[in-house]
Amino acid sequence: MTKKSAQTEENAASKPRAGKKITSSSTAEYFSKNLQQVGFSSPTKAVLTTVKEAVDNSLDACEDNGILPEINLTIVKLGAGTMKNTDKLKITVDDNGPGIHEEDISKVFGEYLASSKFGRGRCSRGQQGIGISAATTWALQTTATPVRVITKTKDQRKAVSCSVEVDLKNNKGITRDRQTIDWDRPHGTSVEFILEGRVQLNGEAGLLSYLRGNVLVNPHLTLNYTLPEIGSATYERVTKDVPHVPEAIEPHPHTMKLGEFLSHARIFGRVRLQNWLKTGFSRMGDKVITDMWKAQKLSPQLLNKTLESVTDENLKAIYTAVQATQLMAPSTQSVVSIGEDAMSLSVERLGEIDFFAVATRKPTICDFKPMQVEVAIARVTGGKIDGDEPVQVLRFANRVPLQFDKSACAIVKAITTVNWRSYGLRQPKDAVPTGPYILAVSVVSPFIKFKNASKETIDASDELVEEIRRALMQAGQRLSRHLSRENKAADLEEKILHLEKFGPVLVDTLVRITKSSDKRKLAAYEGLKKILGRDTTEAQSKLETAETALDVANTARKKRLKSFRDEDSAYEDTQSKNRESSDENEGDDESGDRDDEHQDDSESVQSSKKSKSKSAPLASSKDKKGVDLPKGKKGAKASTKDLGILSVFAPEKAATKGKFRAPLKSKKTAKAVKPSKPAKAVKPSKPAKSVKPAAKKPAIHKK
Amino acid sequence: MVSINKPRKGRVNADIMQQCLSLCDTMLGDLEKAKRPILRAIKCSLDNSLYDHRVGFLTPGDKKVSTELNVSSVKKMSRAVFMLEILLRNIETGSVNTKRELYYMSKGEIKHSPILKPLDFADQDESDSVVDFICEMIEAYREEMNCFANDRGGQTYSQQLIVTETLTDGGKAVIDLSQLGTSPFQPKNRPQNLMLSTKKKIDFALVIESEGTANTLVSNGFTKRHNSIIIGAGGVPSNAVRGWVKRIQDQLKIPIFFYGDLDAYTLQNIYRTLKAGSASSLIRNSDFSAPDVKFLGVLPEDIKKYDLNDYAVNEKDVAEGRSLKKAKDALQNDPFFKDKRNRGLAEILEWLYKTKRRCEQQAYYAVAPRDPQMAEKIIVEKIKRGNFV
Repeated sequence: MTKKSAQTEENAASKPRAGKKITSSSTAEYFSKNLQQVGFSSPTKAVLTTVKEAVDNSLDACEDNGILPEINLTIVKLGAGTMKNTDKLKITVDDNGPGIHEEDISKVFGEYLASSKFGRGRCSRGQQGIGISAATTWALQTTATPVRVITKTKDQRKAVSCSVEVDLKNNKGITRDRQTIDWDRPHGTSVEFILEGRVQLNGEAGLLSYLRGNVLVNPHLTLNYTLPEIGSATYERVTKDVPHVPEAIEPHPHTMKLGEFLSHARIFGRVRLQNWLKTGFSRMGDKVITDMWKAQKLSPQLLNKTLESVTDENLKAIYTAVQATQLMAPSTQSVVSIGEDAMSLSVERLGEIDFFAVATRKPTICDFKPMQVEVAIARVTGGKIDGDEPVQVLRFANRVPLQFDKSACAIVKAITTVNWRSYGLRQPKDAVPTGPYILAVSVVSPFIKFKNASKETIDASDELVEEIRRALMQAGQRLSRHLSRENKAADLEEKILHLEKFGPVLVDTLVRITKSSDKRKLAAYEGLKKILGRDTTEAQSKLETAETALDVANTARKKRLKSFRDEDSAYEDTQSKNRESSDENEGDDESGDRDDEHQDDSESVQSSKKSKSKSAPLASSKDKKGVDLPKGKKGAKASTKDLGILSVFAPEKAATKGKFRAPLKSKKTAKAVKPSKPAKAVKPSKPAKSVKPAAKKPAIHKK
Repeated sequence: MVSINKPRKGRVNADIMQQCLSLCDTMLGDLEKAKRPILRAIKCSLDNSLYDHRVGFLTPGDKKVSTELNVSSVKKMSRAVFMLEILLRNIETGSVNTKRELYYMSKGEIKHSPILKPLDFADQDESDSVVDFICEMIEAYREEMNCFANDRGGQTYSQQLIVTETLTDGGKAVIDLSQLGTSPFQPKNRPQNLMLSTKKKIDFALVIESEGTANTLVSNGFTKRHNSIIIGAGGVPSNAVRGWVKRIQDQLKIPIFFYGDLDAYTLQNIYRTLKAGSASSLIRNSDFSAPDVKFLGVLPEDIKKYDLNDYAVNEKDVAEGRSLKKAKDALQNDPFFKDKRNRGLAEILEWLYKTKRRCEQQAYYAVAPRDPQMAEKIIVEKIKRGNFV
């Protein structure tokens, strides 16, 4: 090869080849090619993520508008899917939320990164506006069927029904087939996906686990569901208190990078610099600004300039000054907690539980972000959880269950660093503890740092792990106290048994050694009976004392929860009164809608009253396949009024009868201190029949 | 009740049998009257140990362990009576057993009689503690209950010593130690049956911590050059070694020296037990301790004098760390080390605790590695000069 030709080849290699165009693609195109990044990496996850996104949106919308959410989820198999090991499924999620304005429908379901929640500094479930559009894309990709939406706001007389597709090229939602229809509810949204996927019910990544987790952290949610192979069931709400959603907080300047700081400034335009600093950030008051200006020797004239006239150089200098100034940590008022009482009521819906402990940490600052951690530990009695199996860990971020990639999650890391052995649980080294327990950990923060776009794992910073660890230890201490009470009672029981086992052996051996007569033997037996009788009585009196102490604690707890429920009822009464008065003020058509609503409600109450009288015996908490189910409406409605939920339950003690046992003085000694049947509140329903009838099929009117 | 504050003659089986039967009869009588039987035993622990240099060994104080029949103690009491029945049967039939054999015999009894199942021992430690409790209760040595430990330690060499043993059938066996060749004489766990005499006057006896070092000294001709008795203790002295040294002290009335490592463990656990007994064996110290034994070395001053190799205690080592901690406790609470007469020993212990240094008995061999008799020379020189504590 000549020198010249070699040079030519070298040049050709280093330059871009002519004719190759650089193209840009839309966000929608990107996500449609990378759906695995947002939770659609397998047919199983696709179903779960679709349900999750729809339910999260419903809950967020209800909370924002102070509505008690009632969500109906239906999954029906339509046939075999075209992909391997998949079914063609119809997933319908409908709610009683505020509804969506017509012009927003296409944005919500068909446009990526279109969100009312992005960067608001609030504890909402959704943030970026990706998930539900991704679900629409998945449905289009697998079945070429657009998503069907029916929605109605409070101000509309008729509902809007349409189908939505994603215009991938332009990242826009396209609505087709628009119709107005009569809908038997004042407001709400129903969304129907026809897609290919696989329904996984059981296991940590199963749909049931997701639903159980959701009802735990949303005590105000009523969830009706119909799933393939299971049928229908209902989780009734246990509180009528809609979580108060605090106002969003402005960003804290110390959490911003220079570029963000500059962009933030440009959004405000003609606002004075001082006003921008005061109103555009949290923890920047007049005094802080004045002190900072003096300390950093910045020009006082700058403060009165508008942001338009401030140069980037000046802004950079201000940014450096702000970073060098000591500021108060951000406010913690923006976090939404579930609360110990609500969690106590909600944990009962998880199944047959004989003990639980909940711990809510005070809101705090982790990694310079407001954060709150709540923990519930529940011991399952009727479930399938094996004693040697790891405990069931339920993770939540902003009240959304996290089900995948748990090993890298801050919550799991915190669990493994706690020494559970000291709280009476078994724990392999550096692992989650084992036993029939459910360990639920909820982290709420307006700025949760996830590891990926599908929000499956919370990033494990040292501060966050430590905060979760402390909450776990707090709950662990409560568990430990209860377990030690149980052990004490078991010890006493064992000692009584000791007397009965060893006493006769002692007499027999002494008689053999001394070669005594039968007469002496009988006399010694009689004497022993008297001694043991005294001891048994003493031991039982100790047990009674312990039980009495526990009863006192339980009564106090009941009282507290009762007052919590009373507050709920008072709140409900006020709400209904307000509603009534507003109904009177509205027009004929509107009141017609309201009448429907009242009628529905009264029907629901009536049917539940009927159910109450029929409710005993309650259905089993398992279906034929051993899947844990919640209680049907019959039991649930009855129980919401008379839940006897205690934070700590005493163990059941076996009543023992022995020939040396002294007569019992109190009947109480043989019975267990049990909760007033709280678990019955969450027993499974009879399939299908117990489900509240879904909304009447809407009559479609073409526009 | 037999005094345990002075040496006593071995109790005959009939006495023990009678005492046990009487105890059981009292317990049964109490039960007949619906009265709770109580078992009392001497509390064998350091907080119930007394030391008087005129007595020379640790003696029990007034504290007793009382076990009254109730929900907590019924298991222990039933097990004690169950094991007592086995021991009494052994005495009756003249059978002899070790603790481990007793453990398996109890297992066998339970196997053949399901009603006894609740008494079953989970491991040998449980049955051992019951045997010890019985001995403490009736203040008898376990050998007197026909329960013997394995013979361990006490290998003895001498060219002058003659041992006459009274056998169980009443016959006598005479052992001339000079006729055993290279084999040592091994004392039994019941040295009270041995009578000692000498062919020639013996100048001293030397108890050496390590049996290996004792063997080396003898192989190098120590016993040929010196009229002496060499005993290898084999670590913490067993009952056989303790009783054997006591026998030599009482019958031959010769000076006895102890030669072992310079560390806290040796001083507290080996030497103190040999000289004054231990807190856990308060009931047997009178016959199983030799108060006249002197501590020949290694002494702290020897390190400098002979330029011995010493080294720092490895505090990270669990055993060594524990020994140091125990040394501190001993200086504060052990009546033996607190006694004025043992001030010299307490000073050594204090030195060990403060300097955290130690030196092994074999360090004498480092003084002149090519002279096999150097250790012997140092030992004899120390004895002659009175360089011991």
